[in-house]
Amino acid sequence: MPGVGPKTAQRLALHILKRPEADVQALAQALLEAKQQVGFCSICFHLSAEPVCEICRASNRDPHTICVVADSRDVIALERTREYEGKYHVLGGLISPMDGMGPDQLNITQLVRRVNKQDIKEVIMAISPSVEGETTTLYVGQLLKPFTKVTRIAFGLPMGGDLEYADEVTLARAMEGRRELE
Amino acid sequence: MYLKTLHLRHFRNYREQQVEFLAPKTILVGENAQGKSNLLEAVELLATLRSHRALRDRELVLDNAQAGQIAAQLERDSGTVDLAITLRSNSRRTVSLNGETLKRQLDFLGIMNAVQFSSLDLDLVRGSPSERRNWLDTLLTQLEPVYAYILQQYNTVLRQRNALLKQQRSPHETWRVAEAAHPPDSTQLAIWDAQLAAIGCRVIRRRARVIERLAPLAQHWHQAISGSRELLEVRYAPNVQLGEDDPLLVQQAFLEKLQMRAIAEQHQGTTLVGPHRDEVEFTINQTPARQYGSQGQQRTLVLALKLAELKLIEAIVGEPPLLLLDDVLAELDLNRQNKLLDTIQDRFQTLITTTHLGSFDAQWLKSSQILTVEAGQISM
Ligand SMILES: Nc1ncnc2c1ncn2[C@@H]1O[C@H](COP(=O)(O)OP(=O)(O)OP(=O)(O)O)[C@@H](O)[C@H]1O
Ligand SMILES: [Mg+2]
Ligand SMILES: [Zn+2]
Repeated sequence: MPGVGPKTAQRLALHILKRPEADVQALAQALLEAKQQVGFCSICFHLSAEPVCEICRASNRDPHTICVVADSRDVIALERTREYEGKYHVLGGLISPMDGMGPDQLNITQLVRRVNKQDIKEVIMAISPSVEGETTTLYVGQLLKPFTKVTRIAFGLPMGGDLEYADEVTLARAMEGRRELE
Repeated sequence: MYLKTLHLRHFRNYREQQVEFLAPKTILVGENAQGKSNLLEAVELLATLRSHRALRDRELVLDNAQAGQIAAQLERDSGTVDLAITLRSNSRRTVSLNGETLKRQLDFLGIMNAVQFSSLDLDLVRGSPSERRNWLDTLLTQLEPVYAYILQQYNTVLRQRNALLKQQRSPHETWRVAEAAHPPDSTQLAIWDAQLAAIGCRVIRRRARVIERLAPLAQHWHQAISGSRELLEVRYAPNVQLGEDDPLLVQQAFLEKLQMRAIAEQHQGTTLVGPHRDEVEFTINQTPARQYGSQGQQRTLVLALKLAELKLIEAIVGEPPLLLLDDVLAELDLNRQNKLLDTIQDRFQTLITTTHLGSFDAQWLKSSQILTVEAGQISM
Protein backbone atom coordinates (compact mmCIF):
# COMPACT_ATOMS: atom_id res chain seq x y z
CA MET A 1 0.00 0.00 0.00
CA PRO A 2 1.34 3.44 -0.88
CA GLY A 3 2.98 5.32 1.96
CA VAL A 4 2.94 2.35 4.33
CA GLY A 5 6.35 0.93 5.26
CA PRO A 6 6.91 -2.65 6.43
CA LYS A 7 6.79 -1.65 10.11
CA THR A 8 3.53 0.24 9.86
CA ALA A 9 2.07 -2.58 7.77
CA GLN A 10 2.96 -5.05 10.48
CA ARG A 11 1.42 -2.85 13.16
CA LEU A 12 -1.80 -2.50 11.14
CA ALA A 13 -1.97 -6.24 10.53
CA LEU A 14 -1.48 -7.06 14.21
CA HIS A 15 -4.06 -4.48 15.20
CA ILE A 16 -6.64 -6.02 12.90
CA LEU A 17 -5.88 -9.54 14.10
CA LYS A 18 -6.50 -8.48 17.70
CA ARG A 19 -9.94 -6.99 17.01
CA PRO A 20 -13.15 -8.98 17.51
CA GLU A 21 -14.27 -10.85 14.43
CA ALA A 22 -17.36 -8.64 13.97
CA ASP A 23 -15.19 -5.54 13.67
CA VAL A 24 -13.04 -7.15 11.03
CA GLN A 25 -16.16 -8.26 9.20
CA ALA A 26 -17.48 -4.70 9.23
CA LEU A 27 -14.20 -3.32 7.94
CA ALA A 28 -14.07 -5.87 5.13
CA GLN A 29 -17.66 -5.05 4.23
CA ALA A 30 -16.93 -1.34 4.19
CA LEU A 31 -13.92 -1.84 1.90
CA LEU A 32 -15.97 -3.97 -0.44
CA GLU A 33 -18.80 -1.46 -0.56
CA ALA A 34 -16.40 1.38 -1.20
CA LYS A 35 -14.92 -0.54 -4.09
CA GLN A 36 -18.33 -1.41 -5.51
CA GLN A 37 -19.99 1.94 -5.01
CA VAL A 38 -17.30 4.49 -5.60
CA GLY A 39 -16.52 5.05 -9.22
CA PHE A 40 -15.70 8.07 -11.33
CA CYS A 41 -18.00 10.94 -12.15
CA SER A 42 -18.92 10.62 -15.82
CA ILE A 43 -18.37 14.34 -16.40
CA CYS A 44 -15.30 15.35 -14.41
CA PHE A 45 -13.81 11.97 -13.37
CA HIS A 46 -13.62 12.91 -9.71
CA LEU A 47 -14.27 10.00 -7.34
CA SER A 48 -18.00 9.67 -6.85
CA ALA A 49 -20.58 7.20 -5.57
CA GLU A 50 -23.12 8.59 -8.03
CA PRO A 51 -22.80 8.64 -11.83
CA VAL A 52 -22.44 12.42 -11.60
CA CYS A 53 -20.55 13.86 -8.63
CA GLU A 54 -21.78 16.39 -6.12
CA ILE A 55 -19.64 19.19 -7.53
CA CYS A 56 -20.91 18.68 -11.08
CA ARG A 57 -24.49 18.57 -9.80
CA ALA A 58 -24.19 21.69 -7.63
CA SER A 59 -26.23 24.49 -9.20
CA ASN A 60 -24.55 27.23 -7.17
CA ARG A 61 -21.15 26.62 -8.75
CA ASP A 62 -19.91 28.51 -11.78
CA PRO A 63 -20.42 26.20 -14.78
CA HIS A 64 -18.26 28.34 -17.08
CA THR A 65 -14.97 27.68 -15.31
CA ILE A 66 -13.15 24.36 -15.21
CA CYS A 67 -10.15 23.69 -13.03
CA VAL A 68 -7.99 20.87 -14.42
CA VAL A 69 -6.11 18.70 -11.92
CA ALA A 70 -4.12 15.48 -12.11
CA ASP A 71 -5.81 13.58 -9.36
CA SER A 72 -8.91 13.43 -7.16
CA ARG A 73 -6.69 14.25 -4.19
CA ASP A 74 -6.04 17.64 -5.78
CA VAL A 75 -9.77 18.33 -5.95
CA ILE A 76 -10.00 17.62 -2.24
CA ALA A 77 -7.01 19.89 -1.50
CA LEU A 78 -8.47 22.75 -3.56
CA GLU A 79 -11.92 22.31 -2.01
CA ARG A 80 -10.38 22.76 1.43
CA THR A 81 -9.32 26.28 0.45
CA ARG A 82 -13.01 27.22 -0.18
CA GLU A 83 -11.58 29.70 -2.66
CA TYR A 84 -12.72 28.12 -5.89
CA GLU A 85 -16.31 28.07 -7.06
CA GLY A 86 -16.16 26.54 -10.51
CA LYS A 87 -16.12 22.96 -11.75
CA TYR A 88 -13.26 20.48 -12.07
CA HIS A 89 -11.80 18.03 -14.50
CA VAL A 90 -9.60 15.20 -13.22
CA LEU A 91 -7.05 13.96 -15.76
CA GLY A 92 -6.22 10.80 -13.86
CA GLY A 93 -2.46 11.30 -13.92
CA LEU A 94 0.25 13.13 -15.82
CA ILE A 95 1.92 12.58 -19.16
CA SER A 96 4.91 10.37 -18.41
CA PRO A 97 6.31 8.24 -21.24
CA MET A 98 8.53 6.36 -18.77
CA ASP A 99 5.43 5.04 -17.03
CA GLY A 100 3.64 4.40 -20.30
CA MET A 101 1.32 7.35 -19.64
CA GLY A 102 0.48 9.23 -22.81
CA PRO A 103 -2.38 11.63 -23.55
CA ASP A 104 -4.54 8.64 -24.51
CA GLN A 105 -4.26 7.20 -21.03
CA LEU A 106 -5.60 10.41 -19.50
CA ASN A 107 -9.07 11.98 -19.62
CA ILE A 108 -7.92 14.62 -22.08
CA THR A 109 -10.21 13.92 -25.04
CA GLN A 110 -13.17 14.09 -22.66
CA LEU A 111 -11.97 17.48 -21.46
CA VAL A 112 -11.62 18.84 -24.98
CA ARG A 113 -15.10 17.61 -25.83
CA ARG A 114 -16.48 19.20 -22.68
CA VAL A 115 -14.90 22.56 -23.46
CA ASN A 116 -15.98 22.33 -27.07
CA LYS A 117 -19.60 21.57 -26.27
CA GLN A 118 -20.22 23.86 -23.34
CA ASP A 119 -19.84 27.56 -22.86
CA ILE A 120 -16.55 27.60 -20.96
CA LYS A 121 -15.00 31.00 -20.24
CA GLU A 122 -11.83 29.83 -18.53
CA VAL A 123 -9.88 26.64 -17.97
CA ILE A 124 -7.50 26.82 -15.03
CA MET A 125 -4.60 24.40 -15.10
CA ALA A 126 -3.74 23.47 -11.50
CA ILE A 127 -1.01 20.93 -11.96
CA SER A 128 2.20 20.50 -9.97
CA PRO A 129 5.29 22.10 -11.52
CA SER A 130 7.25 18.89 -12.05
CA VAL A 131 8.53 18.32 -15.57
CA GLU A 132 5.69 15.86 -16.16
CA GLY A 133 3.22 18.40 -14.80
CA GLU A 134 4.66 21.08 -17.03
CA THR A 135 4.38 18.90 -20.12
CA THR A 136 0.80 18.00 -19.25
CA THR A 137 -0.13 21.64 -18.67
CA LEU A 138 1.39 22.73 -21.98
CA TYR A 139 -0.13 19.82 -23.87
CA VAL A 140 -3.65 20.36 -22.59
CA GLY A 141 -3.20 24.10 -23.00
CA GLN A 142 -2.38 23.72 -26.68
CA LEU A 143 -5.45 21.60 -27.31
CA LEU A 144 -7.79 23.98 -25.50
CA LYS A 145 -6.51 27.35 -26.61
CA PRO A 146 -8.61 27.43 -29.81
CA PHE A 147 -11.75 27.16 -27.66
CA THR A 148 -11.25 29.19 -24.54
CA LYS A 149 -8.97 31.15 -22.26
CA VAL A 150 -6.46 28.88 -20.49
CA THR A 151 -4.69 30.01 -17.32
CA ARG A 152 -2.40 28.29 -14.88
CA ILE A 153 -2.14 28.76 -11.18
CA ALA A 154 0.93 30.58 -9.90
CA PHE A 155 3.40 28.27 -8.29
CA GLY A 156 5.24 29.50 -5.30
CA LEU A 157 4.81 25.95 -4.17
CA PRO A 158 7.65 23.90 -2.68
CA MET A 159 9.93 22.63 -5.38
CA GLY A 160 8.76 19.37 -6.81
CA GLY A 161 5.86 19.74 -4.41
CA ASP A 162 2.46 18.22 -4.87
CA LEU A 163 -0.74 20.15 -4.59
CA GLU A 164 -1.73 17.69 -1.94
CA TYR A 165 1.04 18.88 0.38
CA ALA A 166 0.70 22.58 -0.25
CA ASP A 167 -0.93 24.34 2.66
CA GLU A 168 -4.28 25.98 2.13
CA VAL A 169 -3.03 29.55 2.22
CA THR A 170 -0.39 28.84 -0.44
CA LEU A 171 -2.92 27.10 -2.63
CA ALA A 172 -5.48 29.88 -2.31
CA ARG A 173 -2.81 32.43 -3.20
CA ALA A 174 -1.70 30.33 -6.16
CA MET A 175 -5.29 30.28 -7.37
CA GLU A 176 -5.63 34.05 -7.10
CA GLY A 177 -2.33 34.76 -8.82
CA ARG A 178 -3.03 32.65 -11.87
CA ARG A 179 -1.88 33.89 -15.26
CA GLU A 180 -2.68 33.14 -18.85
CA LEU A 181 -0.82 30.30 -20.52
CA GLU A 182 1.51 31.51 -23.27
CA MET B 1 34.94 26.28 7.76
CA TYR B 2 35.93 23.66 10.26
CA LEU B 3 34.48 20.23 10.88
CA LYS B 4 34.57 19.78 14.65
CA THR B 5 32.93 16.41 15.11
CA LEU B 6 31.61 13.60 13.03
CA HIS B 7 29.30 10.91 14.27
CA LEU B 8 28.69 7.77 12.27
CA ARG B 9 26.01 5.29 13.15
CA HIS B 10 25.40 2.18 11.08
CA PHE B 11 27.22 3.82 8.21
CA ARG B 12 29.22 1.44 5.97
CA ASN B 13 31.37 -0.64 8.34
CA TYR B 14 30.93 1.76 11.28
CA ARG B 15 28.50 0.72 14.03
CA GLU B 16 28.81 3.73 16.24
CA GLN B 17 31.72 6.09 16.06
CA GLN B 18 32.34 9.59 17.30
CA VAL B 19 35.33 11.48 15.88
CA GLU B 20 36.65 14.80 17.15
CA PHE B 21 38.90 16.73 14.83
CA LEU B 22 41.52 18.48 16.91
CA ALA B 23 43.94 19.81 14.31
CA PRO B 24 43.58 21.36 10.86
CA LYS B 25 45.09 18.19 9.43
CA THR B 26 43.99 14.70 10.31
CA ILE B 27 45.74 11.60 9.04
CA LEU B 28 43.69 8.41 9.07
CA VAL B 29 46.02 5.47 9.01
CA GLY B 30 45.07 1.79 8.70
CA GLU B 31 45.36 -1.37 6.68
CA ASN B 32 43.27 -1.92 3.57
CA ALA B 33 39.52 -2.27 3.92
CA GLN B 34 39.30 -0.89 7.47
CA GLY B 35 37.06 2.11 6.81
CA LYS B 36 39.33 5.02 5.93
CA SER B 37 37.66 5.87 2.64
CA ASN B 38 34.28 5.21 4.20
CA LEU B 39 34.89 8.07 6.61
CA LEU B 40 35.84 10.45 3.81
CA GLU B 41 32.77 9.30 1.93
CA ALA B 42 30.62 10.38 4.88
CA VAL B 43 32.13 13.87 4.68
CA GLU B 44 31.65 13.92 0.91
CA LEU B 45 27.97 13.11 1.42
CA LEU B 46 27.57 15.95 3.90
CA ALA B 47 29.03 18.35 1.35
CA THR B 48 27.37 17.17 -1.84
CA LEU B 49 24.67 14.62 -0.91
CA ARG B 50 26.44 12.48 -3.48
CA SER B 51 28.93 9.67 -3.18
CA HIS B 52 31.34 8.91 -5.98
CA ARG B 53 31.32 5.24 -4.94
CA ALA B 54 27.75 4.33 -4.08
CA LEU B 55 24.84 4.09 -6.46
CA ARG B 56 22.22 3.36 -3.82
CA ASP B 57 21.75 4.37 -0.22
CA ARG B 58 21.38 0.71 0.64
CA GLU B 59 25.13 0.25 0.09
CA LEU B 60 25.86 3.02 2.58
CA VAL B 61 23.91 1.48 5.42
CA LEU B 62 25.70 -1.09 7.61
CA ASP B 63 24.91 -4.56 6.30
CA ASN B 64 21.65 -5.89 7.74
CA ALA B 65 20.74 -2.58 9.38
CA GLN B 66 17.62 -0.61 8.40
CA ALA B 67 19.07 2.86 8.63
CA GLY B 68 22.33 4.64 9.09
CA GLN B 69 23.22 8.15 10.15
CA ILE B 70 25.94 10.70 9.51
CA ALA B 71 25.92 13.65 11.87
CA ALA B 72 28.39 16.49 12.06
CA GLN B 73 29.09 19.71 13.81
CA LEU B 74 30.51 22.33 11.51
CA GLU B 75 31.96 25.66 12.44
CA ARG B 76 31.38 28.42 9.95
CA ASP B 77 32.10 32.14 10.17
CA SER B 78 28.42 32.67 10.82
CA GLY B 79 28.29 30.17 13.69
CA THR B 80 28.12 26.47 14.44
CA VAL B 81 25.68 24.27 12.55
CA ASP B 82 24.55 20.70 13.11
CA LEU B 83 24.13 18.62 9.99
CA ALA B 84 22.65 15.15 9.77
CA ILE B 85 21.77 12.69 7.04
CA THR B 86 19.69 9.61 7.71
CA LEU B 87 20.13 6.91 5.10
CA ARG B 88 17.68 4.05 4.79
CA SER B 89 18.07 0.74 3.05
CA ASN B 90 14.44 0.67 1.96
CA SER B 91 13.31 4.22 1.56
CA ARG B 92 14.35 7.78 0.93
CA ARG B 93 17.01 9.56 2.89
CA THR B 94 16.21 12.56 5.02
CA VAL B 95 18.43 15.47 5.95
CA SER B 96 18.31 17.82 8.86
CA LEU B 97 19.86 21.12 9.78
CA ASN B 98 20.20 22.11 13.43
CA GLY B 99 17.88 19.29 14.40
CA GLU B 100 15.16 20.29 11.99
CA THR B 101 14.26 17.99 9.11
CA LEU B 102 14.43 19.83 5.80
CA LYS B 103 11.62 19.53 3.29
CA ARG B 104 13.90 20.19 0.37
CA GLN B 105 17.26 18.44 0.23
CA LEU B 106 18.42 21.42 -1.80
CA ASP B 107 18.53 23.48 1.38
CA PHE B 108 21.15 21.13 2.78
CA LEU B 109 23.61 21.81 0.00
CA GLY B 110 26.21 24.51 0.15
CA ILE B 111 26.44 24.52 3.94
CA MET B 112 29.51 22.37 4.08
CA ASN B 113 32.00 22.47 1.22
CA ALA B 114 34.65 19.92 0.43
CA VAL B 115 37.01 19.04 -2.36
CA GLN B 116 37.65 15.35 -2.77
CA PHE B 117 40.89 14.09 -4.25
CA SER B 118 41.51 10.39 -4.66
CA SER B 119 43.65 8.26 -6.92
CA LEU B 120 40.50 7.60 -8.91
CA ASP B 121 40.65 11.22 -9.99
CA LEU B 122 43.23 10.34 -12.61
CA ASP B 123 40.15 9.17 -14.51
CA LEU B 124 39.33 12.85 -14.89
CA VAL B 125 42.05 12.94 -17.51
CA ARG B 126 41.94 9.39 -18.80
CA GLY B 127 38.31 8.43 -18.40
CA SER B 128 35.22 9.04 -20.47
CA PRO B 129 33.52 12.44 -20.82
CA SER B 130 30.94 11.40 -18.25
CA GLU B 131 33.68 11.44 -15.56
CA ARG B 132 34.39 15.06 -16.37
CA ARG B 133 30.71 16.02 -16.48
CA ASN B 134 30.25 14.40 -13.12
CA TRP B 135 33.16 16.27 -11.63
CA LEU B 136 31.87 19.54 -13.02
CA ASP B 137 28.36 18.88 -11.75
CA THR B 138 29.57 18.05 -8.26
CA LEU B 139 31.56 21.28 -8.12
CA LEU B 140 28.63 23.30 -9.42
CA THR B 141 26.28 21.78 -6.89
CA GLN B 142 28.47 23.11 -4.11
CA LEU B 143 28.80 26.54 -5.63
CA GLU B 144 25.18 26.95 -6.70
CA PRO B 145 22.95 24.50 -4.80
CA VAL B 146 20.01 25.25 -7.10
CA TYR B 147 22.03 23.54 -9.82
CA ALA B 148 21.29 20.18 -8.18
CA TYR B 149 17.62 20.86 -8.82
CA ILE B 150 18.17 22.01 -12.40
CA LEU B 151 20.27 18.96 -13.18
CA GLN B 152 17.70 16.63 -11.71
CA GLN B 153 15.01 18.28 -13.80
CA TYR B 154 17.16 17.97 -16.90
CA ASN B 155 17.77 14.29 -16.31
CA THR B 156 14.07 13.66 -15.82
CA VAL B 157 13.17 15.43 -19.05
CA LEU B 158 15.90 13.48 -20.80
CA ARG B 159 14.64 10.12 -19.54
CA GLN B 160 11.05 11.01 -20.43
CA ARG B 161 12.00 12.17 -23.88
CA ASN B 162 14.07 9.04 -24.47
CA ALA B 163 11.14 6.88 -23.41
CA LEU B 164 8.88 8.71 -25.86
CA LEU B 165 11.40 8.40 -28.69
CA LYS B 166 11.72 4.70 -27.97
CA GLN B 167 7.94 4.24 -28.10
CA GLN B 168 7.74 6.09 -31.36
CA ARG B 169 10.75 4.44 -32.93
CA SER B 170 10.04 3.25 -36.43
CA PRO B 171 9.25 -0.42 -35.97
CA HIS B 172 11.99 -2.91 -36.64
CA GLU B 173 11.82 -4.61 -40.02
CA THR B 174 10.77 -7.92 -38.58
CA TRP B 175 7.77 -6.35 -36.88
CA ARG B 176 4.66 -5.66 -38.80
CA VAL B 177 3.84 -2.00 -39.22
CA ALA B 178 0.44 -2.55 -37.68
CA GLU B 179 2.18 -3.41 -34.42
CA ALA B 180 3.64 0.04 -33.93
CA ALA B 181 1.46 0.73 -30.92
CA HIS B 182 2.24 4.42 -30.70
CA PRO B 183 1.88 6.64 -33.73
CA PRO B 184 4.21 9.64 -33.49
CA ASP B 185 2.77 12.34 -31.26
CA SER B 186 4.53 15.41 -32.60
CA THR B 187 2.72 17.77 -30.22
CA GLN B 188 4.01 15.91 -27.21
CA LEU B 189 7.52 15.60 -28.61
CA ALA B 190 7.64 19.32 -29.35
CA ILE B 191 6.76 20.07 -25.73
CA TRP B 192 9.50 17.76 -24.42
CA ASP B 193 11.89 19.44 -26.89
CA ALA B 194 11.04 22.84 -25.53
CA GLN B 195 11.59 21.69 -21.96
CA LEU B 196 14.84 19.96 -22.83
CA ALA B 197 16.10 23.13 -24.48
CA ALA B 198 14.92 25.47 -21.72
CA ILE B 199 16.37 23.43 -18.85
CA GLY B 200 19.36 22.26 -20.87
CA CYS B 201 20.23 25.87 -21.54
CA ARG B 202 20.39 26.56 -17.82
CA VAL B 203 22.76 23.62 -17.38
CA ILE B 204 24.99 24.74 -20.25
CA ARG B 205 25.25 28.34 -19.12
CA ARG B 206 26.14 27.39 -15.58
CA ARG B 207 28.76 24.91 -16.71
CA ALA B 208 30.30 27.50 -19.02
CA ARG B 209 30.37 30.05 -16.22
CA VAL B 210 32.16 27.80 -13.75
CA ILE B 211 34.77 26.64 -16.28
CA GLU B 212 35.46 30.22 -17.18
CA ARG B 213 36.35 30.96 -13.57
CA LEU B 214 38.16 27.70 -12.93
CA ALA B 215 40.37 27.65 -16.03
CA PRO B 216 42.74 30.49 -15.12
CA LEU B 217 43.13 29.13 -11.57
CA ALA B 218 43.98 25.67 -12.90
CA GLN B 219 46.43 27.18 -15.34
CA HIS B 220 48.12 29.08 -12.57
CA TRP B 221 48.48 26.02 -10.35
CA HIS B 222 49.64 23.81 -13.15
CA GLN B 223 52.40 26.24 -13.89
CA ALA B 224 53.35 26.56 -10.26
CA ILE B 225 53.61 22.80 -9.78
CA SER B 226 55.33 21.97 -13.03
CA GLY B 227 57.79 24.86 -12.74
CA SER B 228 56.09 27.16 -15.24
CA ARG B 229 57.10 25.29 -18.37
CA GLU B 230 53.72 23.95 -19.38
CA LEU B 231 50.55 25.74 -20.36
CA LEU B 232 47.36 24.03 -19.23
CA GLU B 233 44.10 24.97 -20.88
CA VAL B 234 40.72 23.88 -19.59
CA ARG B 235 38.02 24.35 -22.17
CA TYR B 236 34.32 23.65 -22.05
CA ALA B 237 33.08 21.95 -25.22
CA PRO B 238 29.31 21.94 -24.99
CA ASN B 239 27.31 19.72 -27.33
CA VAL B 240 25.09 22.69 -28.12
CA GLN B 241 27.31 25.59 -29.04
CA LEU B 242 27.15 28.55 -26.75
CA GLY B 243 27.72 31.42 -29.11
CA GLU B 244 26.54 34.38 -27.18
CA ASP B 245 25.58 34.02 -23.59
CA ASP B 246 21.93 34.84 -24.19
CA PRO B 247 19.50 32.23 -22.89
CA LEU B 248 17.10 32.71 -25.79
CA LEU B 249 19.79 32.30 -28.41
CA VAL B 250 21.15 29.20 -26.71
CA GLN B 251 17.66 27.70 -26.57
CA GLN B 252 17.16 28.49 -30.21
CA ALA B 253 20.47 26.85 -31.16
CA PHE B 254 19.44 23.86 -29.06
CA LEU B 255 16.10 23.49 -30.85
CA GLU B 256 17.74 23.90 -34.25
CA LYS B 257 20.23 21.16 -33.48
CA LEU B 258 17.39 18.91 -32.30
CA GLN B 259 15.69 19.52 -35.61
CA MET B 260 18.85 18.62 -37.47
CA ARG B 261 19.26 15.36 -35.60
CA ALA B 262 15.56 14.47 -35.60
CA ILE B 263 15.84 11.57 -38.02
CA ALA B 264 18.84 10.07 -36.27
CA GLU B 265 17.05 10.41 -32.94
CA GLN B 266 13.95 8.69 -34.25
CA HIS B 267 16.06 5.93 -35.64
CA GLN B 268 18.10 5.37 -32.49
CA GLY B 269 15.24 6.08 -30.10
CA THR B 270 17.39 8.30 -27.90
CA THR B 271 18.26 11.95 -27.39
CA LEU B 272 21.44 12.91 -29.23
CA VAL B 273 21.53 16.62 -28.43
CA GLY B 274 22.15 18.33 -25.13
CA PRO B 275 24.47 18.81 -22.16
CA HIS B 276 24.41 15.09 -21.35
CA ARG B 277 26.86 14.95 -24.25
CA ASP B 278 29.12 17.80 -23.14
CA GLU B 279 32.86 17.47 -22.85
CA VAL B 280 35.56 19.30 -20.91
CA GLU B 281 38.88 19.37 -22.70
CA PHE B 282 42.27 19.54 -21.03
CA THR B 283 45.23 20.45 -23.18
CA ILE B 284 48.86 20.92 -22.17
CA ASN B 285 50.82 23.03 -24.61
CA GLN B 286 47.93 22.52 -27.00
CA THR B 287 48.14 18.76 -26.96
CA PRO B 288 45.22 16.83 -25.45
CA ALA B 289 46.35 15.84 -21.98
CA ARG B 290 45.04 12.32 -22.40
CA GLN B 291 47.53 11.69 -25.16
CA TYR B 292 50.23 13.86 -23.74
CA GLY B 293 50.78 11.86 -20.99
CA SER B 294 53.17 10.65 -18.57
CA GLN B 295 51.44 9.68 -15.36
CA GLY B 296 53.38 12.42 -13.63
CA GLN B 297 51.98 15.08 -15.92
CA GLN B 298 48.48 13.79 -15.56
CA ARG B 299 48.88 13.81 -11.79
CA THR B 300 50.11 17.37 -11.94
CA LEU B 301 47.05 18.28 -13.96
CA VAL B 302 44.63 16.68 -11.53
CA LEU B 303 46.39 18.27 -8.58
CA ALA B 304 46.18 21.64 -10.32
CA LEU B 305 42.45 21.12 -10.91
CA LYS B 306 41.89 20.24 -7.26
CA LEU B 307 43.81 23.26 -6.02
CA ALA B 308 41.81 25.40 -8.43
CA GLU B 309 38.60 23.94 -7.02
CA LEU B 310 39.72 24.77 -3.49
CA LYS B 311 40.48 28.35 -4.42
CA LEU B 312 37.33 28.79 -6.45
CA ILE B 313 35.09 27.52 -3.67
CA GLU B 314 36.92 29.70 -1.20
CA ALA B 315 36.49 32.74 -3.44
CA ILE B 316 32.80 32.16 -4.08
CA VAL B 317 31.69 30.83 -0.72
CA GLY B 318 33.95 33.15 1.22
CA GLU B 319 35.33 30.41 3.47
CA PRO B 320 37.95 27.74 2.83
CA PRO B 321 36.40 24.34 2.08
CA LEU B 322 37.62 21.03 3.47
CA LEU B 323 40.07 18.97 1.50
CA LEU B 324 39.74 15.19 1.43
CA LEU B 325 42.83 13.34 0.26
CA ASP B 326 42.13 9.68 -0.24
CA ASP B 327 45.36 7.72 -0.69
CA VAL B 328 46.79 10.29 -3.08
CA LEU B 329 49.38 11.97 -0.95
CA ALA B 330 51.75 9.03 -0.95
CA GLU B 331 51.51 8.95 -4.72
CA LEU B 332 52.81 12.48 -5.10
CA ASP B 333 56.54 13.12 -5.17
CA LEU B 334 58.06 15.36 -2.52
CA ASN B 335 57.98 18.43 -4.75
CA ARG B 336 54.24 18.10 -5.33
CA GLN B 337 53.57 17.17 -1.72
CA ASN B 338 55.27 20.41 -0.70
CA LYS B 339 53.34 22.49 -3.22
CA LEU B 340 50.18 21.10 -1.79
CA LEU B 341 51.34 21.69 1.75
CA ASP B 342 52.27 25.29 0.96
CA THR B 343 48.89 25.92 -0.49
CA ILE B 344 46.73 24.48 2.18
CA GLN B 345 48.81 25.57 5.17
CA ASP B 346 46.46 25.56 8.09
CA ARG B 347 43.70 27.33 6.26
CA PHE B 348 42.07 24.34 4.59
CA GLN B 349 41.07 21.63 7.00
CA THR B 350 42.39 18.43 5.46
CA LEU B 351 41.54 14.77 6.04
CA ILE B 352 44.14 12.38 4.69
CA THR B 353 44.03 8.59 4.44
CA THR B 354 47.03 6.32 4.15
CA THR B 355 48.10 2.75 4.78
CA HIS B 356 51.45 3.77 6.21
CA LEU B 357 52.91 6.94 7.58
CA GLY B 358 56.35 6.28 6.09
CA SER B 359 55.84 8.16 2.87
CA PHE B 360 54.92 11.42 4.54
CA ASP B 361 57.02 14.47 4.82
CA ALA B 362 58.03 15.05 8.42
CA GLN B 363 56.34 18.46 8.31
CA TRP B 364 53.00 16.89 7.57
CA LEU B 365 53.29 14.46 10.44
CA LYS B 366 54.34 17.05 12.95
CA SER B 367 51.32 19.27 12.50
CA SER B 368 48.71 16.53 12.15
CA GLN B 369 46.31 14.67 14.34
CA ILE B 370 46.86 10.96 13.67
CA LEU B 371 43.94 8.54 13.99
CA THR B 372 44.10 4.79 13.56
CA VAL B 373 41.31 3.06 11.69
CA GLU B 374 40.70 -0.62 12.30
CA ALA B 375 37.62 -2.61 11.33
CA GLY B 376 35.25 0.31 11.55
CA GLN B 377 36.69 1.66 14.77
CA ILE B 378 38.78 4.73 15.26
CA SER B 379 41.29 5.33 17.98
CA MET B 380 43.73 8.11 18.74
N1 LIG C 1 27.31 -1.31 3.97
C1 LIG C 1 28.39 -1.86 4.55
N2 LIG C 1 28.25 -2.59 5.69
C2 LIG C 1 29.33 -3.16 6.27
N3 LIG C 1 30.58 -3.06 5.79
C3 LIG C 1 30.78 -2.37 4.67
C4 LIG C 1 29.70 -1.73 3.99
N4 LIG C 1 30.18 -1.10 2.90
C5 LIG C 1 31.51 -1.34 2.90
N5 LIG C 1 31.87 -2.10 3.95
C6 LIG C 1 33.21 -2.56 4.28
O1 LIG C 1 34.08 -1.46 4.41
C7 LIG C 1 35.37 -1.86 4.04
C8 LIG C 1 35.96 -0.91 3.05
O2 LIG C 1 36.25 0.25 3.71
P1 LIG C 1 37.05 1.41 3.01
O3 LIG C 1 36.72 1.51 1.58
O4 LIG C 1 36.87 2.62 3.85
O5 LIG C 1 38.53 0.84 3.11
P2 LIG C 1 39.88 1.65 3.30
O6 LIG C 1 40.20 1.65 4.74
O7 LIG C 1 39.78 2.94 2.62
O8 LIG C 1 40.86 0.66 2.56
P3 LIG C 1 41.91 0.91 1.38
O9 LIG C 1 43.17 1.22 2.07
O10 LIG C 1 41.94 -0.40 0.70
O11 LIG C 1 41.39 2.00 0.51
C9 LIG C 1 35.28 -3.24 3.43
O12 LIG C 1 35.71 -4.17 4.38
C10 LIG C 1 33.81 -3.39 3.17
O13 LIG C 1 33.40 -4.72 3.27
MG1 LIG D 1 40.36 3.54 0.69
ZN1 LIG E 1 -18.07 15.52 -11.55
